[in-house]
Amino acid sequence: MTGSWMRRIGGFALPLAACCLLAAVPLITNDRYLFKVLTFVGLNVIVVAGLALLFGFAGQISLGHAAFVGIGAYTCGYLTAVAGVPWPIAVLAGSVLAAFGGLLLAVPSLRLKGHYLAMATLGFNEIMSVLFVELRSITGGNDGLRGIPFASIGAWKIDTPSGNYLLVWAVAVVVLVLVGNVIRTRPGRAMRALHGSELGAMASGVDTRGLKIQVFALSAGLAGLAGALYASAVGFISPSTFSLEFSVLLIAMVVVGGTGSLAGPVTACVLLTLLPYADALIPGLSKDAVAVLQDWEADISGFAMILVLLFAPGGVAGLVRRAAAARRTSVREAA
Amino acid sequence: MNSAELLQFVASGLQNGAVYALVALGFTLVYASTGIINFAQGEFFMLGGMLAVAGVRFGLPLPFAVLASVAGTAAIGLLFERVALRPRRDSGPLVLIIITIGGSMVMKSLARHAFGPNELTLPPFSPGDPIVLAGASIDRQVLWIWGLTIVAVIALTFLYSKTKLGRAMRACSLSHDAARLMGIDTARVVMISFGLAAALGALGGVAVAPLTQTAFDVGARAGLKGFAAAILGGLGNPIGAVVGGLVLGILESMSVAFISSTYKDAISLVILLAVLFLRPQGILGKRGREKV
Repeated sequence: MTGSWMRRIGGFALPLAACCLLAAVPLITNDRYLFKVLTFVGLNVIVVAGLALLFGFAGQISLGHAAFVGIGAYTCGYLTAVAGVPWPIAVLAGSVLAAFGGLLLAVPSLRLKGHYLAMATLGFNEIMSVLFVELRSITGGNDGLRGIPFASIGAWKIDTPSGNYLLVWAVAVVVLVLVGNVIRTRPGRAMRALHGSELGAMASGVDTRGLKIQVFALSAGLAGLAGALYASAVGFISPSTFSLEFSVLLIAMVVVGGTGSLAGPVTACVLLTLLPYADALIPGLSKDAVAVLQDWEADISGFAMILVLLFAPGGVAGLVRRAAAARRTSVREAA
Repeated sequence: MNSAELLQFVASGLQNGAVYALVALGFTLVYASTGIINFAQGEFFMLGGMLAVAGVRFGLPLPFAVLASVAGTAAIGLLFERVALRPRRDSGPLVLIIITIGGSMVMKSLARHAFGPNELTLPPFSPGDPIVLAGASIDRQVLWIWGLTIVAVIALTFLYSKTKLGRAMRACSLSHDAARLMGIDTARVVMISFGLAAALGALGGVAVAPLTQTAFDVGARAGLKGFAAAILGGLGNPIGAVVGGLVLGILESMSVAFISSTYKDAISLVILLAVLFLRPQGILGKRGREKV
């Protein structure tokens, strides 16, 4: 009784409350910096949702997701700033092109497993990093691409920090619902089977080839979507944003959050993204403390990743699950 | 292009190739004894150069600084295996890979804290003008790189074929369980493999540092190229690693000579992807089959 009631809170009421809170932020405050930071959090949530699906559920590692974010960002940035294409079409093009990139990478990667896939995606990220710098006529080289217009649908322009924040989070919520549905239904079960044992999944009639390609493309497309939104929210993009470090950080978020979970990686993503911007949420925090946090961000993520794998391989989600199970047993024993 | 210019490109290809070979040997050693790819291998390359620069700044004579940096990096490799990997030895490869990714993140960041974000220079091992050979001028440091690589390969061959430890390492690469049943301390073998891999990476890093400068963030690309070399020659095969490194170095410098220098780094990465996709067992490797 208690169990199902609690699960209903976790599965429905809690996300709803989170949505209400997110929507209410602009009513409470008009702190531009806070909106900017929360926009970054929302963008990372979109990428991490896709990566959690790919890595956490289907067990296919990607160390190249920053490149897909970059493809989305440069496509949207170039199309809106240089070619003058309407924003919704540019965002769509950015997502589709990133998904197509994912498809191109996924097809030859089908025979690669574990560390080979990790290296192939890592190599892909490095190749894209070189291209982002060298394709100067499109990307602006190391100087980056400037003057990317804000999001606009027809005559309606979303040019305030709070507007961009609401836009990004509205997309993030839709993405989370979509990914949540994928996980709960047949493809999600097929992915878990694939993660458990590829041969076993094949023997049970799962089209593992098709599944891997689809998940990879979907996940890359979500990364591209986040990149496209990033470009129009920030207005300026440069190659260093889409480097290997970002890819590794994204994987760290999924690992710390826990594989085989969506809520865990999203939580870890929110926490790790907020870490270097802690002063946005904690007003009294000194500049020195923030500087230290920013300086040690990579160390903290790296250590968190190692410590989680050493001592809590299920990540945050695993810890919560274990705590809930322990509580259920103690309740049962008391009764 | 005349023959002197061509020779110049070959020499520069063999220079980079020797360094790739050292990094690749590190990948191969760890892969042979554990079956995992050590994503922190590139950071050992970085640490080799950085620790040597730090040693020179500290006032150590150059030869000692070089030796200390190789030994220090080896110690870091041993420690990393013991502390972060051994407790999870029985987990799947994905877990171990991610631990090494986390390790590379931490090593890189700590190096930035310790040595700063700037490019650093190590003095050449033996100063002097380049040596002119059939019209190609070869830096003295390049001779050091070649010499050290040859010494490392000979030492490793001796270790592998003539010593008890080498036999234990080969046994581990065939089957951990069987090796353990024969009384081999497999945990020790794995740890020593990591130490050796770190030393080889560091040797590559310190040998090339006087030519290219070094910084806290050179590890990722060195690691990728070393891995490309290892996979080109067939992962787990030491001879393949050396051949792969030299071939990759030559291919890279030929692409600079005949195509363009802009995409030099991208070309070795494209080679990496092509080998991974078309022939993951490497050029010298045999095709394996996955069993249920």
